Amino acid sequence: MNSPENIEKLIKNAVIHSNPDVNQAVLKEFLQQFNNTQEQKPVVTQPNIRRKIMKSPITKLAAAAVIIIAVMLSINIWDNITPAAYALDQTVQASHSVRYLHIKSFKKGMEEPKEFWLEFDEQGDIKNIRAHMPEWESPSDGAKVVIWQQGKAKIWYKKKKSLLIIKDKRFADKLSASVQLFDPKLAVPRFIELEKSGFATIKIEKPSNKAEPIIISATYSPECKKFGVPVDRTVLFVDQTTKLITSMESYSLTGGGEYELIDWVEFYDYNQQIDPAMFVFDNLPSDVVQIDQTIQDIGLEQGELSSEEIAVKVVREFYEAVIAKDYAKAGRIYGGVPAKIMEERWADLKVIRIISISEPIPHPSSGVGGFMVPCKLEIEKDGVKSEYKPYGPGVRAVHGQPNRWNIHGGVK
Amino acid sequence: MLEDRLLVWKFKHGSKNAFCRIYEKYRDDLLRLAISLLNEANVAEDVVHDVFTSFIQNGKQFQLTGSLKSYLATCVANRARNENRAYQWQHNPGMDAVKQVESSSSRPEKWIIITDEFRRLSNALAKLPYDQRETVLLRAQSGMKFRQIAKLQNVPIKTAQSRYRIGLDKLRSLLNSEVTK
Repeated sequence: MNSPENIEKLIKNAVIHSNPDVNQAVLKEFLQQFNNTQEQKPVVTQPNIRRKIMKSPITKLAAAAVIIIAVMLSINIWDNITPAAYALDQTVQASHSVRYLHIKSFKKGMEEPKEFWLEFDEQGDIKNIRAHMPEWESPSDGAKVVIWQQGKAKIWYKKKKSLLIIKDKRFADKLSASVQLFDPKLAVPRFIELEKSGFATIKIEKPSNKAEPIIISATYSPECKKFGVPVDRTVLFVDQTTKLITSMESYSLTGGGEYELIDWVEFYDYNQQIDPAMFVFDNLPSDVVQIDQTIQDIGLEQGELSSEEIAVKVVREFYEAVIAKDYAKAGRIYGGVPAKIMEERWADLKVIRIISISEPIPHPSSGVGGFMVPCKLEIEKDGVKSEYKPYGPGVRAVHGQPNRWNIHGGVK
Repeated sequence: MLEDRLLVWKFKHGSKNAFCRIYEKYRDDLLRLAISLLNEANVAEDVVHDVFTSFIQNGKQFQLTGSLKSYLATCVANRARNENRAYQWQHNPGMDAVKQVESSSSRPEKWIIITDEFRRLSNALAKLPYDQRETVLLRAQSGMKFRQIAKLQNVPIKTAQSRYRIGLDKLRSLLNSEVTK
């Protein structure tokens, strides 16, 4: 009699054979297909941009990976001189000479990656950034391109057809923090601390064939979350020849005890000079409205009011300006949008009066900051009067203008 | 796992040898799974062929999130399921039918060579409802976890476990009755 265990074994051990001649013929066909795919040029989604980037055979660097490696392997690097540690040491050293870097950051389930082009100065500080942020990263804003240079950020909101220019330390800090992950000089000490504290386990595989990459797997203990490590495992691929990292994968531990890939980063064009034109918006569509918040006062001054009080005041004065058709003032409160554009945007909706303005509530989207200020308006559209509740409005402090508050969206 | 990860990395970076290794490593397992699921040699061979073709075509975008073996097995299972639906077989034809179809194959030579032991097992497997057969094979043959099978079949884990248990019981009955005949 067959027991269930025997049945399982039977299924597991039941074999088929494949015809060796057919195997070879099929493999030959596959290799031809493989050759064809290698010859196909990759889809170029942004030809103008791509042409500006100096192309070269990859000398890739995943500096973030360097960080993690350096940190997680600090004991290996400095206490045990092994071949793998030596490679990592070389990688860490190489990371100190980074001047240019192109990064693609992928998220599982999202087709389009975030892309960054970074230029560092002689001291290794970030000098210029160009970032392409896909719509999934911020659906309300839509896809946007950010150029950061000399403390000033230019943000092109493609969907909103606007270019916002700001000079704000908070924004700069936020942007800088997001790319610091790729700068080993800043993060290594933190990871060294983790390793020394016993919060990570490292596995290294260094193939004897030098054409194959070193694979470093860093598995973090749950406590690492407290130290700002958002993932449970990082796997790095290091080019043995260049001693540079080519890609980095991040894994999250599932309830089933498996490590699931959640995002990955690929590094290109290490130290290949990026065309300066990449850090300039020189060919924006003609219908893009430019809002330069660095050359005009935006919003209203807070004075002695509390944050909640100024938020209510901003909303009230905005709609009063719209009702009075004072589009210059409305535009100034609404982030500095030119009066002409404001008038065009409000041509289809006539606000008759403000019915009520409620207490501000913290903005529900993390990272936005400020408040949502729910309100009710009486409006007239196509000759019909009705009550209207705008989505926001969202109110927050003006970028780079201390003590001033403005509306940033959700007004109609 | 690291070997597969390395193979995938090399494959994505244009290594023919890496693809050859993946093909050699998993080809027979996938053919075995496909023929066990479909009981039709030509269709099974086409399914495996299509899985590798798709793997090549999408290689640059491919990201390994679990084991490569499970990934490829899932690809085979998905395609086999589609084939199964497409043909809407009213009755499982069993391996006798396989022989007939094989004889009318357009391939100059058979890719899959079936042993007598495998034929006997497949005849029994063919009598299981498709979902149970798929569950039993993915678990016992391909080593997939119930969680992965449940996700593939879009059912709760307990359903996948139940399908496995019932399928295994039926299979045991079928094979035991065969022995006692």
